[in-house]
Amino acid sequence: MTRDLRHLTPEQVSSLTLPTEPWLSCDDCFRLMDQYVEGLLHRQRDVDVPGMDVHLRGCAACAEEVESLLQLVAQEDGIDPGPAITRLRG
Amino acid sequence: MTLARRSREDVRPVEHGQDPADWVRALALPGPEQDEALRRLHDLMVRAARHQVWRMRSMLPRPDARTCDELANGAADEAMTALLTKLDTFEGRSRFTTWAYKFAILQAATEVRGHAWAAREVALDDTDVWRDATPGPEQHAEAADLGRAVATAIQQALTPYQRRIALALLVDQVPIDVLADRLGTTRGALYKALHDVRTRLRAHLVATGHMPAPTTSAGGS
Repeated sequence: MTRDLRHLTPEQVSSLTLPTEPWLSCDDCFRLMDQYVEGLLHRQRDVDVPGMDVHLRGCAACAEEVESLLQLVAQEDGIDPGPAITRLRG
Repeated sequence: MTLARRSREDVRPVEHGQDPADWVRALALPGPEQDEALRRLHDLMVRAARHQVWRMRSMLPRPDARTCDELANGAADEAMTALLTKLDTFEGRSRFTTWAYKFAILQAATEVRGHAWAAREVALDDTDVWRDATPGPEQHAEAADLGRAVATAIQQALTPYQRRIALALLVDQVPIDVLADRLGTTRGALYKALHDVRTRLRAHLVATGHMPAPTTSAGGS
């Protein structure tokens, strides 16, 4: 099939080769995201939810939803979400 | 305690303007407390859905107030139904409101993505589009070399299905929910396929000397 050749951008190369271990599924991410977000917002130390950080780097949809939940809870609690978002984005 | 074992006596009356002390109990037992709890829960769902639609409104072809409201209200209703079917899975590891919000956020985000792509075709390519990819002017030689190696790995290490998934999700930026809907599958299944894609590509690149071998063993999927 004749097609125009495409270039892979550095961002696409990084995304295609991103390590996704330890494994966490999207269902597990959804199940754990509420406690993960509260942990990020209300504790100084990093939250230990194994695989969550890796999953959020590899799944744009879950990452958007976790960050959105964090922003919403921070807004309701009157907390500056900045530090937690910084930790979330790693 | 399961829902079935909760008695009406356990339920603290819900006063107007105040959230239930125990959401699960208030929502589980029929009566005026349940009615009030359902009303307040719906308010939570609408609040979270509006928050999510507002965040993603730039994706929408017509991000006017009416469209956003319709999407948010529809998502809130769907999310509330989904939540109520999973009420007995709430374990109290977060506040109930945080737990509840995530249902509306997921539903609203999924609906915005679907709405944004409703009129767009999703091309599922697994052709030789990657063959002999040459670097763009902005790419340095090393990055270009890795790019070519990844293009080769896509051709050689992936199945046609995996190539289609990788191209759609990571190059064409098709939202995972949209692709799942078009393929009749789920977000979770596509993410697992993507995980397999990445694992295969990294293994190929390690074998060809374009990536260092992993230094620690990782758990399986």
